[in-house]
Amino acid sequence: MMATVRNPARDAVAFVGVGTTPYLRDAGGKSATALACDAARTAIEDAGVDLADIDGICGSSVPTVSVQAALGLPAVTWWSNSSLPFSLLVIEAMNAVFSGACTTVLVYHSSLRGAGGSKTAAADPFRVHNASDAHGHNAAMTAESPSGTYGYCAWAQRYLDTYGVGRDALGLVAINGRANAARNPHALFREPLSMEQYLGARMIREPLCVLDMDPPVDAGDAFVLTTAERARDLGHRPVLLHAATSGRTDRPFADQLEDYTISGKEIVAWRLWEKSDVALSDVDVFFPYDGFSIMALSWVEAVGYCQPGEAGPFLAKHWSAGENRVLIDGRVPINTHGGSLSEGATQGAGHFREAVTQLRGDAGERQVPGAATALVTPGGFLWNATGFVLRGG
Amino acid sequence: MSALPDDAALFERFPGVGLDHDNKGLYRGFLERELRLNRCGACGHWQHPSLPMCPRCWSTDVVATPVSGRGEIYLLTVMHQGPPTPGVDYHSGYAVGSVELIEQRGLRYTSAIRSDGIRPAIGMPVELEWIERSGAPFPVFAARP
Repeated sequence: MMATVRNPARDAVAFVGVGTTPYLRDAGGKSATALACDAARTAIEDAGVDLADIDGICGSSVPTVSVQAALGLPAVTWWSNSSLPFSLLVIEAMNAVFSGACTTVLVYHSSLRGAGGSKTAAADPFRVHNASDAHGHNAAMTAESPSGTYGYCAWAQRYLDTYGVGRDALGLVAINGRANAARNPHALFREPLSMEQYLGARMIREPLCVLDMDPPVDAGDAFVLTTAERARDLGHRPVLLHAATSGRTDRPFADQLEDYTISGKEIVAWRLWEKSDVALSDVDVFFPYDGFSIMALSWVEAVGYCQPGEAGPFLAKHWSAGENRVLIDGRVPINTHGGSLSEGATQGAGHFREAVTQLRGDAGERQVPGAATALVTPGGFLWNATGFVLRGG
Repeated sequence: MSALPDDAALFERFPGVGLDHDNKGLYRGFLERELRLNRCGACGHWQHPSLPMCPRCWSTDVVATPVSGRGEIYLLTVMHQGPPTPGVDYHSGYAVGSVELIEQRGLRYTSAIRSDGIRPAIGMPVELEWIERSGAPFPVFAARP
């Protein structure tokens, strides 16, 4: 039995404000709350709304009470702290606006680099004791914990074995990101990357090396969403949430997933295209999540560009030698901001910022000509897959 | 199945583990060097991680039951860095895998893979072994190529 697919929220809610902080290895004593507030302030200013207009607030680990109080949002009627990836917050906020729980909502995510990432990070007591950090190694994690990073590395090894694919398939994701990041001043890593450099990079958890894993950063991102009607009265070209979904199977544990091809990403792809009036061929720019490079390959396959195991050859076939990056059918770039592998690890927030920026036509030298439809697929195949079709309004 | 130690003592033996009524049988098993996964008393279906209801028949008669510990490597990674763990040295590579147990298709348990100088690989048969960690037995797998 298939559940009935409905999409009454189609094109009803829009992104109207975007804000961020610099993406840094060390923000120099700023708390996660400070980073959230910095990003929120720029998003609200960008949207051009009054503080009194913001009646909803939705954040990741920094409590909404802290951000509401720091910003001085006088009257909020809906709030939520939600789990990552960032896309789950976007879905919550969209639903809240669509339902009327609130009309204009601030959505934010910020993170501090965890103590487990490096020796300098481990020497910083504010990182060691950062209660709100969900990405560092918490004390209960051991080498054998089948959660977090383990699943992506272990499934990557099985992927390579199953399909007879080499690590160079993963490397194409990293190299594509670097080529795009060269045109993104916000990105942490902007130097070009060669396949030789990729294949020679330090191994972290086989088969994934340091260039297959997005670099932790101190950063915040924020967005303002409101109704499509209200969006038309604000300053920017609205970016509409045309279709949005999440997807998960009944075996949502990294080591118990039934099979690589029976996962949340297949549920997302099926549901997203059922909900959407547009097709894959209408997509102008694609944002497959790349927190681990394997995830981007799996999204290329799941959304329908090619069959399971074929993403590496697909990317190679659609590689622009001149630009040293992917241009699907000579037209559709992937992760124009560099992805989180090059821009920095913000659990999908960066992918949304770039998608909105592209659909507004504000991406400067990165601008995809005439970009009207973006496909954004945050999260991974284990337990937190999500997918979005965004359209310029 | 032994009821010892009592619940308070179990927490003392496994500090840092999120013990609850659903997984206490697994950790009691550790102390007796038996890998006990939850099995439905009504229909025999195994499941892991430890949950209180059988997803096949909805029985709540779920009992921590010993498995053979035999199976083959389904997922594998060799770690060159990772969370600090007693007795674990990442410098020469530390293999961790998810073993598909012979008891049931898709029933997997994840732990270290020891292979005595042989490179472990997906599909390789393994057997359960016990090591000591932080004063308690800890289950790992040994490759039997």
